Amino acid sequence: MEHILIIGGGVGGALAHDLTLRGYRVTLVERGELLSGTTGRHHGLLHSGGRYVFHDAETARECYEENRILRHIASEAIEPNGGLFIALNEEDISHQDRFLEGCNAAGIPTAPLSPRQAMSREPALNPALLAAVGVPDAVMDAWRLAMAFFATARANGAAIRTFCEVTDLKMLGRQVAGVRVIDHRSGLSETIGADLVVNAAGPWSGRIAAMAGIGVPIQPGPGVMVAVRGRVTQAVVNRLHPAGEGDIIVPQRRLSVLGTTAWLADDPDQVTAPAEHVARLFSLCAELVPAVAAMAPHAVWSASRPLLQSSQDQDPFAISRTFDCFDHAARDGIEGLVTLIGGKATTMRAMAEQTADLIGRKTGRDIACHTRETILLPYRRYWRGDMGN
Amino acid sequence: MKSETTEKKPSPQIEFRIERYKPGLIDPPRFQSFRVAVDDQMSVLDGLEQIRLRQDAGLMYRHSCHHSACGTCACRINGIERLACTTLILSLNTETVVLEPLHGFPRLGDLAVEMTPFYRDIDPAWSLLTPAESIEGAAEPAADPPLRLEACIECGCCVSSCPAAHRNAEFMGPAALAALHRQMAKVDSPRQRDLLAAAASPRGERLCERALNCSRVCPTDVYPARHIADLRRLVKA
Repeated sequence: MEHILIIGGGVGGALAHDLTLRGYRVTLVERGELLSGTTGRHHGLLHSGGRYVFHDAETARECYEENRILRHIASEAIEPNGGLFIALNEEDISHQDRFLEGCNAAGIPTAPLSPRQAMSREPALNPALLAAVGVPDAVMDAWRLAMAFFATARANGAAIRTFCEVTDLKMLGRQVAGVRVIDHRSGLSETIGADLVVNAAGPWSGRIAAMAGIGVPIQPGPGVMVAVRGRVTQAVVNRLHPAGEGDIIVPQRRLSVLGTTAWLADDPDQVTAPAEHVARLFSLCAELVPAVAAMAPHAVWSASRPLLQSSQDQDPFAISRTFDCFDHAARDGIEGLVTLIGGKATTMRAMAEQTADLIGRKTGRDIACHTRETILLPYRRYWRGDMGN
Repeated sequence: MKSETTEKKPSPQIEFRIERYKPGLIDPPRFQSFRVAVDDQMSVLDGLEQIRLRQDAGLMYRHSCHHSACGTCACRINGIERLACTTLILSLNTETVVLEPLHGFPRLGDLAVEMTPFYRDIDPAWSLLTPAESIEGAAEPAADPPLRLEACIECGCCVSSCPAAHRNAEFMGPAALAALHRQMAKVDSPRQRDLLAAAASPRGERLCERALNCSRVCPTDVYPARHIADLRRLVKA
């Protein structure tokens, strides 16, 4: 079978899993630790899709479908406690009908709650809330859910090389024949040949494409998140309005994560967490749960979203969170290179499926996808695998 | 909206003294110093990111979530096991931050260690989920009580800090014993007996020396020493 080389240890894990199930030989390279870029660094929301019904119906539908699949194939890495969208003023209330219709159209179940019902479920909510709608949001462990894909891919034969950074693509004319890497462990460079290279470097995918002299429509969209100590609610709390800044609180373990802000950047690496963003998150999230205002930050961090570039939308919250994969043979006349961009952690399995389907077409193989029903190995198997267990 | 005026103070320079190691290249390990301009919001992990991005792309350390949920960035910071992501540089009150990898783990390179031995006595199938503590004032849900992920993030701090684990490689260690005790709460009594038998084995709780370092360094308040004490009582009973 063909040797597929995946660049990027984020959603690349889901792709390695899909491709090994289909029988391909797979090598994945990641410049640092797995999941150290975008995929491991989000707030942990397993989307119901509710956040996208206002402007991105396709992503909303994808999210709910993948939400159900991930609960089935990786249940141990998910806190299944639901989510609430709450309305705090008349403007929020004015969005409610559109929200319910949008959820209905995307197939997302909703449960309208009275303010009293919402407060009895989640007593920390702002008592001035006017309405609430329950949705099947959940919370994932960003590291452990994604590591379950890596554990399963590795058990099925994928070679996974961390601290192994791509420095160039190996070109034979207009054909990508492999990658040039530096192994940060040994300091040595080497060339790894491959029948097909997949650029799954998220917000860094523009750098990889540039090595082939081509561009991809990727825009790094960093955002800030803040964790506070203490679980203020059991369910995820969202503001009932089109997605914006500081409108979500994601509880996990004994922490609560306040999210998020967003801006557009050129460099996915130079990511800072501006102090004014932190202050804004506290004041906006305190509208959802007033107790947050008195809490101290436990951790402040930022991550770059891999946004699909769009000429119309300059508001980073309005840019679609859907994903796309490109065959650069058709697009740019470069053979042997596929780029996977956009998307989000909730939809990583679907991103992998679509990319593996494209790889099937390119390699002339018609092999069905089995990742919807294949229960992932426990993530701890990633390390136990080394011991032959 | 009027934003608060932030007075720009000059950023203090802090020395990061990092134990470097690359098999066959920087071997044996030696310390290397970097200078980093810091502010009062910066974590040790932020400092490492700056060094990697601006000074040495080959600097190896593990990191993922940046908020103490994944456990990958544990290392020894000024001699004490901590998470780099939730340790603010200026809170250390030192001009030099000394960073070493966790003790007792095979080294991958620099601050990155190989976690395989950590999982030797933790069954991959042990559950990660547990009932969430109830929130004050909340009505008890009729069905589907809320669940949360286990507090242990498997960072390795406790194992690195445990003198008994370093003296005796056979010792299951504090993380595995705490996980075993947590798992006992979730299974039926025949399986509880099997788990207790493992805790009572010659590699189990009897090798704990009650140094209590594990509970002191645990970044997520798992208090492994308490779990070991509970197991000891159950074994004796």
